[in-house]
Amino acid sequence: MIVIALGTGFGLSWYALNDGRLVGAVEIGPWQAWRDVGVPGPDPYTRAYIARSGALELGASEGLQFIATFDSDNRRLDRNCRYRIDGTTPPARFWTLVPVSADTGAPITRPDGPADFHSARLSRAADGSVELYVSKTLAPQNWLEIAGDGPFNLVLTLYDTSSLSGSGANVTTLPSIIRESCA
Amino acid sequence: MIRTGLWILAGLVLGGIIHIVVILLLPALSATAAWDRIEALGPAQGMRVLAPVTAGEPNPLRLDPELAYAVCRVDLRNGPGSVTGTLPQSFWSVAVYARNGTVVYSTTNRDSTSNLLDLGLFNPAQTRLLAEQKLDVAEGLLIVEAKEDDLMVVVRLAPPHPAMRARYERALAGLSCGNLSV
Repeated sequence: MIVIALGTGFGLSWYALNDGRLVGAVEIGPWQAWRDVGVPGPDPYTRAYIARSGALELGASEGLQFIATFDSDNRRLDRNCRYRIDGTTPPARFWTLVPVSADTGAPITRPDGPADFHSARLSRAADGSVELYVSKTLAPQNWLEIAGDGPFNLVLTLYDTSSLSGSGANVTTLPSIIRESCA
Repeated sequence: MIRTGLWILAGLVLGGIIHIVVILLLPALSATAAWDRIEALGPAQGMRVLAPVTAGEPNPLRLDPELAYAVCRVDLRNGPGSVTGTLPQSFWSVAVYARNGTVVYSTTNRDSTSNLLDLGLFNPAQTRLLAEQKLDVAEGLLIVEAKEDDLMVVVRLAPPHPAMRARYERALAGLSCGNLSV
């Protein structure tokens, strides 16, 4: 009984704060965000998530942060693979996309290169859509060179966006993350 | 058989209780809160510009490498808090955090007509004095009411290009932050 109790109690807590889809996180394609992380008086799960992550979360009116740990085919993001991030983003003043280490949150890009994609500094197609590549090997279009081995996360932050807040607002257009090839 | 079932049921119920206790206690017991990390940087005196995030360096606060950040801790027991100054023409935003890391208030410069930041922080008692006009504050002050006395103000500023970062960080450092003298 004690084993079941401990297993359920801590297992459920761990699951709720890591996955969170049932308790307060929203999932759009491969991207996840905690919806109420920036509002005054969040629910207990979001509060526990904030305490556990120890991050400076964005306020609800400042923006919204999405994290992807898996690609669009539900495989863990791996630094040895080349990823194409393709699609459109919801309206926002600007957005940034950073590949980070899953443990430390440090950007995993080449130290003397840019650390992230900024929406204002990209080459775009005629219709405004973007094609981003994250890989160790040379890639066309917008390319961010990463270093190291092991899994990583992609952090997409939309600044000054009304996505997910207000009535009738919904995000249906987050880019997909497509694994192209692996070394 | 029924006895085993009851034991399992009791285990699940106890597990549920443990789960609820863990979720509710975590904010109080966590030693990794953003507040403690900021506190470890040094004493609460004015605005502190955070070191930029670079590739390979640990980033516990999960900051955006594209933005410049300034942090200031305010204790409302010493009077209403205030954050004032001028910021460059670019995206900037302000968030006020409570000790447990939740956001009490946040805004961006989207709706503001000038680049002037003038924020006043008041606890419930000070807000009452304000309503009774017993506190004298400047006109145009953005008034934020907070339930707690320990607050942390974070100003985010987005330089249009990484090359302009130093100038934008100087602008952040030039903000004044402290208690209003009333």
